[in-house]
Amino acid sequence: MRVRTSNSIHNAATKYRYLMLFTLPALIFYVVFAVYPLFATFVISLFQTTNGDGSFIGLDNYVYLFTDPTQSGHFWHALLNNLEFFAIHLIVQLPIGLLLAALITSDAVRRLTGFYRTILFIPATLSVVIVGFIWRMIISPLWGIIGFPLLGTEATALPTLSLMSIWQWIGIPMIFLYTALIAIPKDILEAARVDGASGMRTFWAIKFPLITPQFGLITILTFIWTMNGFDLIYSLMGGAPGPNYSTDILGTFFFRTFFGFNNVVGDTDYGAAVATVIFLFILISTAGYFFVLQRRLKPHEL
Amino acid sequence: MKSRIAPVAITVAAVMMALAGCSGGSGDSGGGSDQVTLQFESWRPEDAAIWNSKIIPVFEKDNPGIKVQFAPTKATEYDAALKTRLQGGTAGDLITCRSGALNRENIEAGFIEPLKGFTGLSNFDDLSLSYWASTNGDPYCVPVASVMAAFFYNKDIFTELNLSVPKTNAEYMSVLQAIKSNGKYVPLAFGATPGDAWVLAYMGLYSEGPNYWHGEEGRQGLIDGSKKFTDPEFVQALAALKSWTPFMPDGRASVTYSDATQLFALGKAAIFPSGSWDISAVTGSTGLDVGVFAPPLPKAGDQLYVQSHPDMGIGINAASQHKKEAQVFLNWVASPAFQTIYANALPGFFGMGKEPAKLDNPLAQAWADLKVGAELTPRVEDILSGGNPDFETTIENSLQLMMTTDKSPEAVADETQKGLENWYKPQMK
Amino acid sequence: MSQVSVSRRQATRTAPDESREARRRRRMSPSVFLVHGVLIFFVVMALGPILMTIMNSLKTQQGIFSGPFQLPTATTFSIDGYLRVTQLGDFGTLYFNSATVTIVTTGLTVGLATIAAFAIVEYKIKLAPVLSGFFIIGIMLPVRLGTVSLLQMMSSWNLVNTTLALILVYTGMSLPLGVALMVTYFRSVPQELKDAARIDGAGEVQTLSIVTPMVRPGLGAVAALTMLPIWNDLWFPLILAPGRSTQTVTLGVQQFMGQYDSDWPALLAALTLGTIPLILLFLIFSKQFIKGLSEGYGK
Repeated sequence: MRVRTSNSIHNAATKYRYLMLFTLPALIFYVVFAVYPLFATFVISLFQTTNGDGSFIGLDNYVYLFTDPTQSGHFWHALLNNLEFFAIHLIVQLPIGLLLAALITSDAVRRLTGFYRTILFIPATLSVVIVGFIWRMIISPLWGIIGFPLLGTEATALPTLSLMSIWQWIGIPMIFLYTALIAIPKDILEAARVDGASGMRTFWAIKFPLITPQFGLITILTFIWTMNGFDLIYSLMGGAPGPNYSTDILGTFFFRTFFGFNNVVGDTDYGAAVATVIFLFILISTAGYFFVLQRRLKPHEL
Repeated sequence: MKSRIAPVAITVAAVMMALAGCSGGSGDSGGGSDQVTLQFESWRPEDAAIWNSKIIPVFEKDNPGIKVQFAPTKATEYDAALKTRLQGGTAGDLITCRSGALNRENIEAGFIEPLKGFTGLSNFDDLSLSYWASTNGDPYCVPVASVMAAFFYNKDIFTELNLSVPKTNAEYMSVLQAIKSNGKYVPLAFGATPGDAWVLAYMGLYSEGPNYWHGEEGRQGLIDGSKKFTDPEFVQALAALKSWTPFMPDGRASVTYSDATQLFALGKAAIFPSGSWDISAVTGSTGLDVGVFAPPLPKAGDQLYVQSHPDMGIGINAASQHKKEAQVFLNWVASPAFQTIYANALPGFFGMGKEPAKLDNPLAQAWADLKVGAELTPRVEDILSGGNPDFETTIENSLQLMMTTDKSPEAVADETQKGLENWYKPQMK
Repeated sequence: MSQVSVSRRQATRTAPDESREARRRRRMSPSVFLVHGVLIFFVVMALGPILMTIMNSLKTQQGIFSGPFQLPTATTFSIDGYLRVTQLGDFGTLYFNSATVTIVTTGLTVGLATIAAFAIVEYKIKLAPVLSGFFIIGIMLPVRLGTVSLLQMMSSWNLVNTTLALILVYTGMSLPLGVALMVTYFRSVPQELKDAARIDGAGEVQTLSIVTPMVRPGLGAVAALTMLPIWNDLWFPLILAPGRSTQTVTLGVQQFMGQYDSDWPALLAALTLGTIPLILLFLIFSKQFIKGLSEGYGK
């Protein structure tokens, strides 16, 4: 029997074989049911269909999207709204998630950690219909506790929706930060306590710096999820979310163009172009983020 | 044992997958050798109980061997879902058809079976059939229901406050003012939230507006380009709508259509501008005594115009495997017998046959009576909707801002007209 | 450095008694109340709306709107909503479909992602980061955009109106995040462990099964994150499996949402019934997740 000392005993060919073998099942599902349909959609965007006959028009749909004043107006407006939605989401959920994670890992909460952790995560299990119904009821000028029409006023509609969304999903950043916090080796914390550091001091000087890498992960995931967001806004505000398109984001813009709205007939090909553009935007932003991050981290990696 | 998670998970998954693959599938249509089940697409889930208990059993009794399964999709998803199902070949045999551009698109794409020569069509006049016809004028769907827009009012509140039913706009305004001064009730159950901005159009502008732009005269004028939305009669209609704002509930920018319905149904509001489809929502278990009055006239003695909009037709999926049976069903739908059952089971949805159905529900009859002496007009859309920017979305957006901010009627008219001129050829001169 | 810490430890040898005192003091201290107070506030914010939903599901339609924040009274209490829901007759089928789709997809995703991630981390050849990146791109993919193509695919394979179609699509959709997450968990597995296993003669698959318990928190995380969007998804059941026998809970609930107004008591009842299994499912997997965490990091 050969003595195996390290991974290097496998030659490249064996490694290649095993890698392919192990990833193939996942790859098949992923490619067939997620990648291919989207690629097919991109192909669709290069066509124009009239009365059931498709004709190849190259990038004309894209030109239309960016040069037609109404369409490009809607697109950029939706993009800006989406970025605002993302920004509010991130800025509010990070501190709160951090606060919650810190609190449930603090010494004051020993046996109840599991209880709090689970309860705070439950809103993430709810369907948007419940979230929308309940919060709309609470802030309704007629039945609820707030007299000012939050969802109907241009300035407050998007922030209100962002807060609703944060309420629902706060469990996720909380869990990410929580797992990072409990991953901190106990001996570091023990040493700090022995040195006489108080709870707050320990937190800010020791725990916080060790969990900051999680912020990057949360940021990028929040970015992707808010850029792909749709359900809550659609179910509460419809397909052309107002007031005055102030809650229109990329997801609703796409839905409107692809599937139509009111009596407007949807345009599959043009909608496919919109979808491709949105996807590329997310891809480039995320790639750019990772690129910058890699450069920052490289010198620190040891 | 702990390390076996992955293999166990996969085994369980595989077993359940095998079970899953066996479920569903071909079990839905067909079945026995003689039994045919027709799938019936619709956008009204709330009608399911009525179709299943009052309407379909009548058909099935006379037609053993044909079963009809009412399979509705939520209204806001219907158009998108139907289109996807038609393209994917999985749509039902019977299709509830919208009137207008959306349906025309499905017709042009060949998804709907033409009804040329269908004997049942003789029960309908050409105008009714035209709403569900192709651009050539060939019929594709049997007209089933039209709806109207007007004003529900709470009779008890009117009696309590000594009010009489208004006929002119001046009377209407003074009634509203009287209710507001009294302070006990909300004058108008009418909201202006963006998600329900269509209410401002369908039951607001397109209800009271025709009195100002003279119904078809105005609508056809917009369609052929002889009238502009900035013409005085349209601006007056907009101004009349805006004058409702002081009488709407507080925080109206967040009041939804559902809120408005509940407000009226709970007896807290006096007047509810809505459509005939809400008859069941405001009567029955609410215990209210409800009446209806027509849109107020600008001046006494003017001609009355009332909105009557073709809402629903039923057609056959061109890819259906059971076209013969579907035609049997459609034949029945085109008959006066069906019209009577339908109009009484769903008050507020008026049949469009040449023979008007006899209505048992007094409120429904009161609505139908509004048509007497009035000129009817459908909503200002159809040919005008669609386009870039979309007419309907543009005007609804502007209306919502007009009713909640200080946007003026002239500005709304301007925006709408500019939007039309951007794409609608007859308006581009 | 170590000398200093040793002397410090000697200096505080009496510390154990003190720290017990300090601990007791800490338990009673105002900061404890503050911590719990803040947490309870958030718990109320999280649970309040849910309790409101349940409460309102037990009222009549008028009852809901005449007093949404009040408990059901003698006049407003009604279980009609629940009755109408059960009268549908096939609520059990809805549950079964939702459960089947969610559990099978989750199982498949966890299983396949684990295997793939193990390989990506273990076999350090150039192809590995490429595959990894390929999966990561998938996290951003808005799968809804491929609906028409998916429907045509399913229809040509005769899989429309089957839960299998949903399972296939959801698995494809969930694998990217699953793989990306498992990769991060596998990266924290020490190389020596795997090498030791190999030295003892383990093959690749055996090595994988030895290493898997170490990434159990990852399994729990992937399971939890996978099942949530699937149970609540409306779009794909609507398009791919709208038939009566294959409807999921989320789709079935829609029948209470009318064109103009909804049957609120029935809708809320259906939503309440529909949410409970998901919360239960989630609770089961979150326990695993945490158990694994404390075991994994206790070392």
